[in-house]
Amino acid sequence: MNKLPLLFLGVFITFASSWLGLVAYPYLTLGNMQPLPDEDTGGYFPPSQSGLAVAGQRVYAANGCVYCHSQQVRLAPLSTDIAKGLGPRQTVARDYLRAQPVFLGTMRTGPDLTNIGARQPDQNWHHKHLYEPQTVTDWSIMPSFRYLYKMQKIQGQPSADAIQGLAGPHAPAPGFEVVPSDDAKALVAYLISLKRNYPLPESPEPPAN
Amino acid sequence: MNPQSLISSFHPANNPDTLASHERAEIDASTRFPVLLFFASAIFWLLIGSLLGLISAWKMTHPGLFDQMAWLTFGRLRPAHLNTVIYGWASAAGIGVGVWLMARLCRVPLLHSKLLISAAIFWNLGVLVGVMGILAGDSRSIEWLEFPGYATPILFIAYAFIGIWAIIMFRFRRPGHVYVSQWYLFAAFLWFPWLYATANILLVWQPIQGSAQGAVNWWFAHNVLGLWFTPIGLASAYYMIPKVIGRPIHSYYLSILGFWSLALFYSWNGMHHLIGGPFPAWMVSASVVASIMMFIPVVTVAINHHMTMRGHFGALKWSPTLRFTVFGAMTYTVVSLQGSSMAIPSLNTLTHFTDYTIGHAHLGLYGFFSMMMFGAMYYIVPRLTGWEWPSANAIRWHFWLVAVGILLMVVSLSIGGILQGLAQFDPQVSFRSSLDYATPFRWIRGLSGFLLLGGHVVFAALFTLMLLKVGRQKEGPALFAAPVKPEAAPL
Amino acid sequence: MTPPTPPPDEGFKENELASDIDVSQVHGSILRERAEPCDGYEPVPLWLITVFFAIIFWAGLYLAYFSGGFRADVFNPDRVAWAGGGPAVAAGPVDPKVLGKRVFTQNCVVCHQTTGLGVAGQFPPLVGSEWVVGGDWHGDNHLVKILLNGLQGPIQVKGAAYNNAMPPWAQLDDEKISAVLTYIRSEWGNSAPAISADYVKKIREASAAQTEPWTQKALQAIPGEKAPDAAAPAAAPAAAPAAPEATPAASPAAA
Repeated sequence: MNKLPLLFLGVFITFASSWLGLVAYPYLTLGNMQPLPDEDTGGYFPPSQSGLAVAGQRVYAANGCVYCHSQQVRLAPLSTDIAKGLGPRQTVARDYLRAQPVFLGTMRTGPDLTNIGARQPDQNWHHKHLYEPQTVTDWSIMPSFRYLYKMQKIQGQPSADAIQGLAGPHAPAPGFEVVPSDDAKALVAYLISLKRNYPLPESPEPPAN
Repeated sequence: MNPQSLISSFHPANNPDTLASHERAEIDASTRFPVLLFFASAIFWLLIGSLLGLISAWKMTHPGLFDQMAWLTFGRLRPAHLNTVIYGWASAAGIGVGVWLMARLCRVPLLHSKLLISAAIFWNLGVLVGVMGILAGDSRSIEWLEFPGYATPILFIAYAFIGIWAIIMFRFRRPGHVYVSQWYLFAAFLWFPWLYATANILLVWQPIQGSAQGAVNWWFAHNVLGLWFTPIGLASAYYMIPKVIGRPIHSYYLSILGFWSLALFYSWNGMHHLIGGPFPAWMVSASVVASIMMFIPVVTVAINHHMTMRGHFGALKWSPTLRFTVFGAMTYTVVSLQGSSMAIPSLNTLTHFTDYTIGHAHLGLYGFFSMMMFGAMYYIVPRLTGWEWPSANAIRWHFWLVAVGILLMVVSLSIGGILQGLAQFDPQVSFRSSLDYATPFRWIRGLSGFLLLGGHVVFAALFTLMLLKVGRQKEGPALFAAPVKPEAAPL
Repeated sequence: MTPPTPPPDEGFKENELASDIDVSQVHGSILRERAEPCDGYEPVPLWLITVFFAIIFWAGLYLAYFSGGFRADVFNPDRVAWAGGGPAVAAGPVDPKVLGKRVFTQNCVVCHQTTGLGVAGQFPPLVGSEWVVGGDWHGDNHLVKILLNGLQGPIQVKGAAYNNAMPPWAQLDDEKISAVLTYIRSEWGNSAPAISADYVKKIREASAAQTEPWTQKALQAIPGEKAPDAAAPAAAPAAAPAAPEATPAASPAAA
């Protein structure tokens, strides 16, 4: 194999084959999907996100949440995701239309977050958990994200944003409160928006047992 | 190119081309500055990357470690570690080794060394800006492509220079037989800029929507392994093994089969990182099939190397180059077969989302590629500096620290990962249990990180001493033991 | 064909130093090098070729069975869509409890929570609530009316006072309203009979004149009724019973 043109051609063609199958094809089919209209509420599946939730995606990316948390629900018998309650059905391509970037994830050091918004819809819970995960779940190895929060002296009335029910070594002393920064608020809005329990025809729900 | 010359290009060459000593000296002198620049950069980033990895590992068992500061949070340190070792250490070492190998095998002194020196500068700048960007919070969280958008063009310029250089070098090589390492290097130097550009455009600059991002992401990440690192590692093995023991490679035909089957199948593997994920079933199945088809190139190369080495395994006792290289080559076979097994969906249920995958990744990038690079550097650096390695004992320390370190890491993560996977698969078992199973093995992994960092410090010290030409010039090479000259091999 | 012999190790050849390479650069490490690597020409082993073709054969079978017909809308590799087969997605009737749970999760958990416990002082609980399972003056017709038109103003739920506004859900069709009510009446320990889509339709027609959300006082003025026996869903999948934990529909307690 002494000829440069032959080598170049072979190298190019083999590369192009996978490019066509794994890049061009998803670009053309999955990349052009549209959301499905929802007759009941007049909205769309997947539902559009609030601006705060979109900003929250940037915070999720900046702090590397994807390295411990996945966001995909898989089918039986390959997995027991549905039996474990991670979601009512397999997540499919359309579910990720609003995601930017798509946080599929490849590790479950922590639980899957596809439907965390349905499991934990309470803002205060999320703020408590991000501030000091071990006070909510004592066996957790999730690091604290208290750098996204501010401890401040209560001026007159407690702030409406202040986190309720904080405990543990970094709980505010009397007269102090912890308020979320804009990044924390955006992140929590994003987490609460994570719900993939609407129906999609290409992903039928397995029958309830 | 007429059919006759095409056929004759496959025909056995009658006389292998060779180099006279002064020609080798001239070639080595021409590669000295660019290659040593890449090596020095690579070793610098190796130290930083090992440290970042060590801290990240301990943060998993001690989440309170350094948790006050945003730039030290696990979610930023871990991608910083990944990108530093991939683009900072492994790519730079690979480029350095690849440049030297290309020059030797093309049998001409290095052309356009300024292009390579510019590439080295751009590339160092890109990695520095990229890593600082990740720690500052601009990570894209796209695995293997976390560098922020302002760093990636810098890296792309550097890699484009290298791709252009590779084409020019190959075009103006001395005519004659083209050795298998050159095919791998030429392909790697072309594939990587294409991969990098496509992935950046479709994921960073003009992101495609929906789960198609996941497909492109893992097509890219797996191809960095299969079409960039693997070819460079194999090129080095194909050079160093026959070179050190003085025998020809067993079979040219196996080399051809191995190269083209790798080119065809490896690039389809990407979706095996996403089995069960939100993709049309055929894409995932195609990747499962391609992952099993990888058996062909992997076994082919293993046979080729093994049959070349047969009867000469005694050389492992004395040659540092060969010891690191053969460790890497054997690990290549093991890690590739392991990877093929992990792609089988029924086994994937146990390994996906667990530490097992992390163990596999380190076995491949460290056990195969990094060890291969260490071996190549131990061969190349004396020829560039005109100085011998000052201490065979230190090389011995380096070898055993990192060999034990990587084996400890991989075994512990693999066992922990399987236990984690079994726990995650059972709906009756709480998530907490999967964590509890993994934790003691993460401790062992953390300890192995100290061994690896220690080995790297030894290697960095040796390299620095070589550059500075400190101490007395040694008589003869630094070898683990007195070499036993192999008998004239009956052919 | 005999493989070529590797050339002997190169020694130092003085007369070849035509270039301006300094003698001292041709140092020991280069002189002791062996020849550049070259190729041997052993043939490819036959067993390897056999294994290669066996793997290709297996690959073809695997792709035939597990590729979902190479369709872009088949995400389940176990679903085999042969050429000319039906639609990739099996269209079947949905189990009402599944539908009800889905409707609840999409629309109701924001206030009433996944646990059905609501939020103290703000959103009333559904668990053990007389408004949901019946009791005192509460009837099934009241429950359906609340879903259709909403509820506002001060109310009493399980002895606690609430004063909030529940929006109307008339845009949900009869099947979805009956499903979600059936769901909340049989979940979290609640045990009350299912409500049929026909009943919802009947109440919807009867409440056509109502434009404002109900108040507790207005509802109390209407006598409560029990919904008639919900018929078992005709085409439900075999695993889904009609009203699994329902008590017999003929309840002795009159509204």
